[in-house]
Amino acid sequence: MTASNDELREPVRNFTFPRHTLVSLLIFAACWEVLSHLAPVLGIPPFAIPSLVKIAKSIGTITPLDIAVTLARVMAALVASFVLGLALAMAMYRSHSLEKYLHPIIRLFMAAPVVSWILFAVLWFPGVEFRIGFVLVVVCGPVFLVDTLDAMRSVPRELRHMMQSFRPTTFQFFIKLMLPAIVPTIFTSWKVNISLAIRVVTIAELVGAVTGIGHQLSVAQELFSVADVFAWTIVLVALLFMLEAVVARVEHRLLRWRT
Amino acid sequence: MNIAATGGPPSIEVRGLRKVFWQATSGQAVVAIDRLDLTIAPREVVAIVGQTGCGKSTFFDMMIGLEPPTEGTLRIGDKSPHADFDYFRGKIATVFQQDRLLPWRSALDNAKLPLELIGLPEAEQRERAMTWLKRLGLGNFINAYPHELSGGMRQRVAIARAFVVQPDILLADEAFGHLDEVTAAELRETFLALARECGSTAILITHQLEEAIGVGDRVVVFGTSAKLLADIPVAQWPKEQYAVLREAIQLTLQNNSADPRLNRDR
Ligand SMILES: Nc1ncnc2c1ncn2[C@@H]1O[C@H](COP(=O)(O)OP(=O)(O)O)[C@@H](O)[C@H]1O
Ligand SMILES: [Mg+2]
Repeated sequence: MTASNDELREPVRNFTFPRHTLVSLLIFAACWEVLSHLAPVLGIPPFAIPSLVKIAKSIGTITPLDIAVTLARVMAALVASFVLGLALAMAMYRSHSLEKYLHPIIRLFMAAPVVSWILFAVLWFPGVEFRIGFVLVVVCGPVFLVDTLDAMRSVPRELRHMMQSFRPTTFQFFIKLMLPAIVPTIFTSWKVNISLAIRVVTIAELVGAVTGIGHQLSVAQELFSVADVFAWTIVLVALLFMLEAVVARVEHRLLRWRT
Repeated sequence: MNIAATGGPPSIEVRGLRKVFWQATSGQAVVAIDRLDLTIAPREVVAIVGQTGCGKSTFFDMMIGLEPPTEGTLRIGDKSPHADFDYFRGKIATVFQQDRLLPWRSALDNAKLPLELIGLPEAEQRERAMTWLKRLGLGNFINAYPHELSGGMRQRVAIARAFVVQPDILLADEAFGHLDEVTAAELRETFLALARECGSTAILITHQLEEAIGVGDRVVVFGTSAKLLADIPVAQWPKEQYAVLREAIQLTLQNNSADPRLNRDR
């Protein structure tokens, strides 16, 4: 059997037509549209279920600046959470007593509800950006920390032993063994935290922010504009999918050695 | 020869070495090594044979310097591999049971790892690693990842990784035991030839008699708790007597005391 050149080449991307997704979305949209027309008959106030045309109009009024601001907040907070989480995880990996002292506090942080953090932020910090950043870091940081620490713990003893036998410095040990070994976990952790951050940022922005998607959502609520809420929600979901796709792309590139 | 230092390998002096582990599971102390005395001359090729659990790997870890002695001393030249850990960077190299390659690194990048650790310039790292991979017959697999190579090839990469620094001391712990007979014999030959060529002191740890005798210079037989049962200058034994030697070592291991035939030269 001979393989053509195309077959030998690594497929760049296995694109499969998302038939099921499309069908289910179309059915949902159709139901929505029907409901929006039936609303007066069913005694539902007309603003509660806006027609698709109205939603489309709302999408037309979406302000890119708010998207950019929210995105910037999310990315900055995620980077800060990652750096902090990873640094603490490394310190805790190195020092058993540090781990014993910090572990309960981290458990506590992770157990506290997001709303409490938002209220604390409002009560403690005057700056809006700082409040939002604080809430995001406090929510996402521990996730990065716990995930990466767990992953470092599960680096096979054999590999650590091998690495040690060649006498690396502590820095080399982390850079050449631990970090590359936990890259798969780092990606999983980023995916989890991106969706977490996108959902939390909007709530955080409800309090005091004058820009951002969360702020726009609260404006829409004050105006009883379900169409606007719908439009911004679509934007948020799209943003989430887009970020996840970017991470998946980078992951595919960096983890080539696995396939 | 050695790129981290000049001059031949120093001798290894083990005096009254003891290593006791506290086993949390059983709540008991395990004496892995009990007062071992052993001298290994520069450039000697020594096989250490003993039954599973007799303390071979513990001795290996102490040679690397990962474990401090409970009592006694282990000195390489005038230094301790544990207390002077950094001093031996690039001077001691290891091959383990199973290749222990980093799965995310290509063969070349795996082989050059020890050179990265001693901070050689990148171009030189690559060149040296390439040379050794070629010598081990892996010239066409430089960019292959470990999972793309067979067990024997992976162990070849691991051997290249040990030799790139042209170490004073080479340590191998059951390095060929997991391979099939033919591959193991072939790799052992290669390993020994390269070790002699480099002028390194080589210590091969094994639980297989054939392997131990095949190594050549000297066979050290460990009993329980690394008790020195016999120290055999195999080179002085005529080849036709190898069957006798083999049987004598076998009995020594079984009885945990030296077979009289082993002491005839002393
Ligand atoms: N880190 C450790 N903690 C507790 N006991 C150990 C440890 N390492 C080895 N031992 C014990 O020391 C003894 C010798 O083990 P080892 O050196 O691995 O033997 P070998 O390599 O000859 O099979 C065994 O009884 C083993 O259970
Ligand atoms: Mg062992």
